[in-house]
This record gives sequence, structure tokens and C-alpha cells, in this order.
Amino acid sequence: MHNLILQTQFLLAALSALLPLLPAEARERAGQILAAAGGVLSLGAGVSAQWGDLADKLAAIRTDVEAMARAGRAVTPEELDAALTRVRTASAAFRAALETAEATP
Amino acid sequence: MSHKTLRAIMLACALAIAPSCASLPRLENPIAIAQSVDARAYALMGTYAALIEEAADLVRAADTPPALKRALGSAERAATPAVEALGIAVIAYARARRDLDAAPAGDSASLAASFAIAARHLSDAILAAEQPIQALAALVRTDRS
Repeated sequence: MHNLILQTQFLLAALSALLPLLPAEARERAGQILAAAGGVLSLGAGVSAQWGDLADKLAAIRTDVEAMARAGRAVTPEELDAALTRVRTASAAFRAALETAEATP
Repeated sequence: MSHKTLRAIMLACALAIAPSCASLPRLENPIAIAQSVDARAYALMGTYAALIEEAADLVRAADTPPALKRALGSAERAATPAVEALGIAVIAYARARRDLDAAPAGDSASLAASFAIAARHLSDAILAAEQPIQALAALVRTDRS
């Protein structure tokens, strides 16, 4: 999908190169439309990438849980310790990010 | 607003939404497939960590509305203590079970009682953690929908 987005962005760039061929009165508006299209395409690509990241993480946890069930084994205290450490690390990073965001005007 | 302007806006919206919608993977629910109480706790903790990591990215993003950042902060402050309590409860449960499994048959009565208490605490901790985790998940999903 990211390749498709990249190709569309290249297409927009190529179309921008043809702008001088347009009549002067339409050129500015067409340029604005292409610039806006490029901007929103980048935004969409960013949203898509972040959502995919969360989906990958949840899929990895699901794989872990399925493997435990298939093997008929319980979760070990060490695995639980690691999961709790990840929660604490993520929480600390979140709070630091929030503090920075709130301090930024 | 002219017809051409409207078409340009529609094109912009379509370009923004199409890649996201087309590539949005279905989100897994690891909690739903857990077959034991400790696996459920493990899935809850992992899901929460993934959500908080996502929420941190949202908070760092300049285009996230301040109201959403504040709501995420409130949700995290409510959920993290419950998830930490869940982590402590499930670790105690796993250790109590390991001790019980390792004990000779004749010496297991007190360990069985300890395990039953740990199991009850774990069930309570799961119930207490589920709602705040769902609240955070709803906020993260709201931003993505």
C-alpha cells in the first residue's frame, strides 16, 4: 500500500511538471489542487502506517496467546514480569510525551 | 462554492481517506482468545502496553487536538494503576501455582489455599482493569476512525 501511495505522489509531482502547459488563469488553481492533494495523501499515509503498527503489535500478542493455548502451558512469571515492565516503560514514555506536549504552546 | 472547488475538496478527501481505509488492517483482539485466567491477564497487559505506545504517538503528533491529548492523559492515569495491580496479581498467581505444582502431595493444603486466594485476587484485578483499558482503546480508535 505504501508503494501505491508513493506512486500516486510521484504521479502528482509529474502532473505538477505539466502545469506550465495550462492556460495562465487555470495554472494557479491547478497547482493549489495538486499541492493540497499531495498534502492530504501524506496525511493519509501517516495514519495508515500508525494504525498498521498497532495492528502488528496486537497480532503479535495474539500469536503469543495462541501458542500458549496450543502448547497447553501456563504463562510463566518471567513472561508476566516482562509484560508488566513493558506497561511501566510505555506508561513512563507516554507521561513524558504528554508533559512535553502540554509545555509546548 | 463553485462546482470545481467542490470537486477539488472531494478529491482531496478521497486521497486522504483512501489509503488509510484501503490498508487499515483488522485489529486483533488477543483478549478474546485467551483460554485461561493468566493468559487473559497477559493479553490485557500486552494490549494495554500497545495502546499506550499508540497513545504516546498521538500525544507527540502536532495535529492531535489538545482536548484529545488531555482525554488520553486522564484515561492513562486511570488505567495504569489498575493494570499494574493486575500485573502484580497475575505474577503472584503464577508463583502460587508453581509452588503448588512443585509441592509434595501431603504438603499442599496451605499452598492450595494460597493459590485459591491468588486466583480470587486475579479475577478481581482483571475485572477492575478491563473497563479503563476499554476506555483508552475507545479514545485511540476514535482518533483513527
